[in-house]
Amino acid sequence: MASNAQGSHMKALLVEDAAVETLFHSAILHMFHCETTVAKTGKEAVDLFLEGKKFDIVLCEKEMPVMNGLEAVEKIRAIGETDVKIVGVSVDCNAMEAFMSAGADVFVPKPITLDVLSAIIQEIINKKNNAMV
Amino acid sequence: MDYSNLRRQAASMKKGLFDQGHLDEQFRQVEDLQDEASPNFVEEVAVLFFKDSGRLISNLEQALEKYPRDFNRWDAYMQQLKGSCSSIGASRMKSECMSFKDNCGKGNVEGCMGCLQKLKREHAILRQKLESYFQLLRQAGPTGAATRPVM
Repeated sequence: MASNAQGSHMKALLVEDAAVETLFHSAILHMFHCETTVAKTGKEAVDLFLEGKKFDIVLCEKEMPVMNGLEAVEKIRAIGETDVKIVGVSVDCNAMEAFMSAGADVFVPKPITLDVLSAIIQEIINKKNNAMV
Repeated sequence: MDYSNLRRQAASMKKGLFDQGHLDEQFRQVEDLQDEASPNFVEEVAVLFFKDSGRLISNLEQALEKYPRDFNRWDAYMQQLKGSCSSIGASRMKSECMSFKDNCGKGNVEGCMGCLQKLKREHAILRQKLESYFQLLRQAGPTGAATRPVM
Protein backbone atom coordinates (compact mmCIF):
# COMPACT_ATOMS: atom_id res chain seq x y z
CA MET A 1 0.00 0.00 0.00
CA ALA A 2 2.66 2.50 0.97
CA SER A 3 4.97 1.27 -1.79
CA ASN A 4 3.07 3.31 -4.38
CA ALA A 5 4.00 6.46 -2.53
CA GLN A 6 7.60 5.53 -1.84
CA GLY A 7 9.97 8.29 -2.80
CA SER A 8 7.20 10.84 -2.76
CA HIS A 9 8.95 13.05 -0.17
CA MET A 10 5.92 15.23 0.13
CA LYS A 11 5.64 18.01 2.64
CA ALA A 12 2.67 17.53 4.91
CA LEU A 13 1.15 19.87 7.44
CA LEU A 14 -0.81 18.19 10.20
CA VAL A 15 -3.11 20.62 11.97
CA GLU A 16 -4.23 18.82 15.10
CA ASP A 17 -4.27 19.54 18.82
CA ALA A 18 -5.09 16.09 20.17
CA ALA A 19 -1.98 14.15 21.19
CA VAL A 20 -3.20 10.67 20.27
CA GLU A 21 -4.36 11.71 16.83
CA THR A 22 -1.17 13.67 16.24
CA LEU A 23 0.89 10.57 16.97
CA PHE A 24 -1.32 8.34 14.88
CA HIS A 25 -1.63 10.66 11.87
CA SER A 26 2.06 11.54 11.95
CA ALA A 27 2.87 7.84 11.77
CA ILE A 28 0.56 7.39 8.78
CA LEU A 29 2.19 10.30 6.99
CA HIS A 30 5.63 8.95 7.86
CA MET A 31 4.67 5.62 6.33
CA PHE A 32 4.07 7.49 3.09
CA HIS A 33 7.47 9.18 3.41
CA CYS A 34 5.99 12.60 4.09
CA GLU A 35 8.07 15.26 5.79
CA THR A 36 5.52 16.31 8.41
CA THR A 37 5.11 19.56 10.28
CA VAL A 38 2.60 19.74 13.12
CA ALA A 39 0.53 22.80 14.01
CA LYS A 40 -1.60 22.60 17.14
CA THR A 41 -3.99 25.37 16.21
CA GLY A 42 -5.43 26.82 13.06
CA LYS A 43 -3.49 29.99 13.75
CA GLU A 44 -0.16 28.14 13.83
CA ALA A 45 -1.05 26.60 10.50
CA VAL A 46 -1.91 29.93 8.90
CA ASP A 47 1.25 31.49 10.31
CA LEU A 48 3.35 28.80 8.66
CA PHE A 49 1.91 29.73 5.29
CA LEU A 50 2.37 33.43 6.03
CA GLU A 51 6.03 32.66 6.75
CA GLY A 52 6.31 31.29 3.25
CA LYS A 53 6.29 27.61 4.10
CA LYS A 54 5.01 25.38 1.36
CA PHE A 55 3.15 22.10 1.74
CA ASP A 56 1.77 19.52 -0.65
CA ILE A 57 -0.96 18.34 1.70
CA VAL A 58 -2.68 19.67 4.79
CA LEU A 59 -4.60 17.41 7.15
CA CYS A 60 -6.73 19.76 9.18
CA GLU A 61 -8.87 18.89 12.21
CA LYS A 62 -12.02 20.94 12.68
CA GLU A 63 -12.11 21.61 16.41
CA MET A 64 -9.07 23.33 17.85
CA PRO A 65 -8.41 26.12 20.31
CA VAL A 66 -7.48 29.69 19.27
CA MET A 67 -8.52 29.14 15.64
CA ASN A 68 -10.53 26.21 14.42
CA GLY A 69 -9.87 24.23 11.26
CA LEU A 70 -12.63 25.82 9.20
CA GLU A 71 -11.31 29.31 9.77
CA ALA A 72 -7.76 28.16 9.11
CA VAL A 73 -8.75 26.63 5.77
CA GLU A 74 -10.53 29.83 4.74
CA LYS A 75 -7.52 31.93 5.63
CA ILE A 76 -5.05 29.62 3.90
CA ARG A 77 -7.06 29.86 0.69
CA ALA A 78 -7.52 33.60 1.13
CA ILE A 79 -3.77 34.22 1.16
CA GLY A 80 -3.52 32.58 -2.24
CA GLU A 81 -2.59 29.03 -1.35
CA THR A 82 -4.87 27.42 -3.87
CA ASP A 83 -2.65 24.52 -4.96
CA VAL A 84 -2.13 22.79 -1.66
CA LYS A 85 -4.40 19.79 -1.13
CA ILE A 86 -6.41 20.44 2.01
CA VAL A 87 -8.04 17.48 3.68
CA GLY A 88 -10.56 18.33 6.35
CA VAL A 89 -10.81 15.69 9.08
CA SER A 90 -13.23 15.36 11.94
CA VAL A 91 -14.99 12.79 14.06
CA ASP A 92 -18.10 14.83 13.26
CA CYS A 93 -19.38 13.32 10.03
CA ASN A 94 -21.54 16.40 9.45
CA ALA A 95 -18.44 18.55 9.06
CA MET A 96 -18.04 17.80 5.35
CA GLU A 97 -20.22 20.61 4.05
CA ALA A 98 -18.56 23.16 6.31
CA PHE A 99 -15.08 22.08 5.27
CA MET A 100 -15.91 22.11 1.57
CA SER A 101 -17.47 25.56 1.91
CA ALA A 102 -14.33 26.75 3.67
CA GLY A 103 -12.20 25.61 0.76
CA ALA A 104 -11.05 22.11 1.58
CA ASP A 105 -10.55 19.73 -1.32
CA VAL A 106 -11.81 16.67 0.45
CA PHE A 107 -13.27 15.63 3.78
CA VAL A 108 -12.30 12.44 5.56
CA PRO A 109 -14.18 11.38 8.66
CA LYS A 110 -12.08 10.16 11.55
CA PRO A 111 -10.61 7.68 12.00
CA ILE A 112 -8.44 8.08 8.95
CA THR A 113 -7.39 4.79 7.42
CA LEU A 114 -4.26 3.94 5.48
CA ASP A 115 -6.26 3.11 2.35
CA VAL A 116 -8.02 6.44 2.26
CA LEU A 117 -4.90 8.50 2.82
CA SER A 118 -2.92 6.39 0.38
CA ALA A 119 -5.38 7.23 -2.40
CA ILE A 120 -5.21 10.94 -1.64
CA ILE A 121 -1.42 10.97 -1.51
CA GLN A 122 -1.15 8.96 -4.73
CA GLU A 123 -3.37 11.52 -6.41
CA ILE A 124 -1.03 14.30 -5.35
CA ILE A 125 2.02 12.38 -6.55
CA ASN A 126 0.40 11.75 -9.92
CA LYS A 127 -0.46 15.41 -10.24
CA LYS A 128 3.10 16.44 -9.40
CA ASN A 129 4.52 13.94 -11.88
CA ASN A 130 2.20 15.17 -14.62
CA ALA A 131 3.18 18.74 -13.91
CA MET A 132 6.86 17.84 -14.39
CA VAL A 133 6.26 16.25 -17.82
CA MET B 1 10.47 -19.87 28.75
CA ASP B 2 7.89 -21.02 26.19
CA TYR B 3 7.71 -17.93 24.04
CA SER B 4 5.40 -19.48 21.46
CA ASN B 5 2.89 -20.24 24.20
CA LEU B 6 3.10 -16.67 25.42
CA ARG B 7 2.49 -15.43 21.91
CA ARG B 8 -0.51 -17.72 21.62
CA GLN B 9 -1.86 -16.35 24.87
CA ALA B 10 -1.34 -12.80 23.65
CA ALA B 11 -3.09 -13.57 20.36
CA SER B 12 -5.98 -15.13 22.26
CA MET B 13 -6.18 -12.12 24.54
CA LYS B 14 -6.27 -9.79 21.58
CA LYS B 15 -8.98 -11.85 19.90
CA GLY B 16 -10.99 -11.60 23.08
CA LEU B 17 -10.69 -7.81 23.02
CA PHE B 18 -12.15 -7.77 19.53
CA ASP B 19 -14.79 -10.42 20.20
CA GLN B 20 -16.00 -8.60 23.33
CA GLY B 21 -16.24 -5.33 21.42
CA HIS B 22 -13.56 -3.47 23.32
CA LEU B 23 -11.55 -2.92 20.13
CA ASP B 24 -12.54 -2.52 16.50
CA GLU B 25 -10.76 -2.69 13.15
CA GLN B 26 -9.11 0.67 13.73
CA PHE B 27 -6.79 -0.99 16.24
CA ARG B 28 -5.44 -3.06 13.36
CA GLN B 29 -4.72 0.18 11.51
CA VAL B 30 -2.58 1.22 14.46
CA GLU B 31 -0.84 -2.16 14.40
CA ASP B 32 -0.11 -1.73 10.70
CA LEU B 33 1.95 1.32 11.55
CA GLN B 34 4.29 -0.66 13.80
CA ASP B 35 7.51 -1.67 12.12
CA GLU B 36 11.18 -2.27 12.86
CA ALA B 37 11.79 1.44 13.19
CA SER B 38 8.91 1.77 15.68
CA PRO B 39 8.71 -1.68 17.32
CA ASN B 40 6.61 -0.46 20.27
CA PHE B 41 4.38 1.93 18.40
CA VAL B 42 1.09 0.29 19.35
CA GLU B 43 1.95 0.33 23.03
CA GLU B 44 3.15 3.94 22.79
CA VAL B 45 -0.15 4.98 21.27
CA ALA B 46 -2.05 3.06 23.93
CA VAL B 47 -0.04 4.62 26.76
CA LEU B 48 -0.63 8.07 25.33
CA PHE B 49 -4.31 7.32 24.82
CA PHE B 50 -4.91 6.28 28.41
CA LYS B 51 -2.98 9.24 29.76
CA ASP B 52 -4.84 11.67 27.51
CA SER B 53 -8.27 10.12 27.90
CA GLY B 54 -7.84 10.04 31.67
CA ARG B 55 -7.17 13.76 31.59
CA LEU B 56 -10.14 14.42 29.32
CA ILE B 57 -12.47 12.40 31.54
CA SER B 58 -11.23 14.28 34.58
CA ASN B 59 -11.76 17.62 32.81
CA LEU B 60 -15.25 16.54 31.85
CA GLU B 61 -16.11 15.55 35.42
CA GLN B 62 -14.99 18.97 36.58
CA ALA B 63 -16.98 20.64 33.84
CA LEU B 64 -20.13 18.74 34.81
CA GLU B 65 -19.79 20.14 38.29
CA LYS B 66 -18.55 23.62 37.49
CA TYR B 67 -20.80 24.28 34.48
CA PRO B 68 -24.16 22.66 35.21
CA ARG B 69 -26.33 22.06 32.15
CA ASP B 70 -23.70 23.58 29.85
CA PHE B 71 -24.34 20.90 27.24
CA ASN B 72 -22.35 22.66 24.54
CA ARG B 73 -19.27 22.70 26.72
CA TRP B 74 -19.78 19.10 27.83
CA ASP B 75 -20.26 18.07 24.21
CA ALA B 76 -17.05 19.81 23.18
CA TYR B 77 -15.05 17.91 25.80
CA MET B 78 -16.58 14.64 24.70
CA GLN B 79 -15.90 15.40 21.03
CA GLN B 80 -12.18 15.30 21.64
CA LEU B 81 -12.38 12.07 23.61
CA LYS B 82 -14.52 10.53 20.89
CA GLY B 83 -11.85 11.41 18.34
CA SER B 84 -9.11 9.72 20.34
CA CYS B 85 -11.24 6.63 20.93
CA SER B 86 -11.94 6.45 17.21
CA SER B 87 -8.29 6.70 16.27
CA ILE B 88 -7.18 3.84 18.50
CA GLY B 89 -10.21 1.66 17.95
CA ALA B 90 -11.58 1.83 21.50
CA SER B 91 -15.01 0.78 20.36
CA ARG B 92 -17.00 0.52 23.61
CA MET B 93 -15.56 3.78 24.88
CA LYS B 94 -16.48 5.44 21.60
CA SER B 95 -20.04 4.16 21.91
CA GLU B 96 -20.35 5.71 25.36
CA CYS B 97 -18.95 8.98 23.99
CA MET B 98 -21.64 8.97 21.33
CA SER B 99 -24.36 8.18 23.88
CA PHE B 100 -23.12 11.03 26.03
CA LYS B 101 -23.27 13.42 23.08
CA ASP B 102 -26.78 12.21 22.26
CA ASN B 103 -27.82 12.97 25.81
CA CYS B 104 -26.25 16.42 25.53
CA GLY B 105 -28.34 16.99 22.46
CA LYS B 106 -31.46 16.02 24.37
CA GLY B 107 -30.51 18.12 27.37
CA ASN B 108 -30.60 15.02 29.56
CA VAL B 109 -28.35 15.57 32.57
CA GLU B 110 -29.00 12.17 34.15
CA GLY B 111 -28.33 10.49 30.85
CA CYS B 112 -25.02 12.31 30.56
CA MET B 113 -24.03 11.34 34.09
CA GLY B 114 -24.90 7.71 33.45
CA CYS B 115 -22.89 7.64 30.24
CA LEU B 116 -19.91 9.18 31.94
CA GLN B 117 -19.93 6.49 34.61
CA LYS B 118 -20.11 3.79 31.96
CA LEU B 119 -17.32 5.49 30.06
CA LYS B 120 -15.10 5.48 33.12
CA ARG B 121 -15.78 1.77 33.64
CA GLU B 122 -14.97 0.96 30.02
CA HIS B 123 -11.83 3.06 30.24
CA ALA B 124 -10.65 1.15 33.30
CA ILE B 125 -11.50 -2.23 31.78
CA LEU B 126 -9.75 -1.52 28.49
CA ARG B 127 -6.73 -0.11 30.26
CA GLN B 128 -6.39 -3.21 32.43
CA LYS B 129 -6.87 -5.60 29.53
CA LEU B 130 -4.45 -3.81 27.21
CA GLU B 131 -1.88 -3.51 29.99
CA SER B 132 -2.05 -7.28 30.45
CA TYR B 133 -1.85 -7.80 26.71
CA PHE B 134 1.22 -5.64 26.28
CA GLN B 135 2.86 -7.26 29.29
CA LEU B 136 2.40 -10.63 27.64
CA LEU B 137 3.77 -9.32 24.38
CA ARG B 138 6.84 -7.99 26.13
CA GLN B 139 7.39 -11.33 27.80
CA ALA B 140 6.91 -13.12 24.51
CA GLY B 141 9.32 -10.84 22.66
CA PRO B 142 12.52 -12.31 21.23
CA THR B 143 14.73 -10.69 23.83
CA GLY B 144 12.41 -11.51 26.67
CA ALA B 145 13.25 -8.20 28.25
CA ALA B 146 10.29 -6.30 29.59
CA THR B 147 10.34 -2.59 30.24
CA ARG B 148 7.23 -1.31 31.87
CA PRO B 149 5.75 1.93 30.59
CA VAL B 150 3.46 3.78 32.92
CA MET B 151 -0.10 3.58 31.70
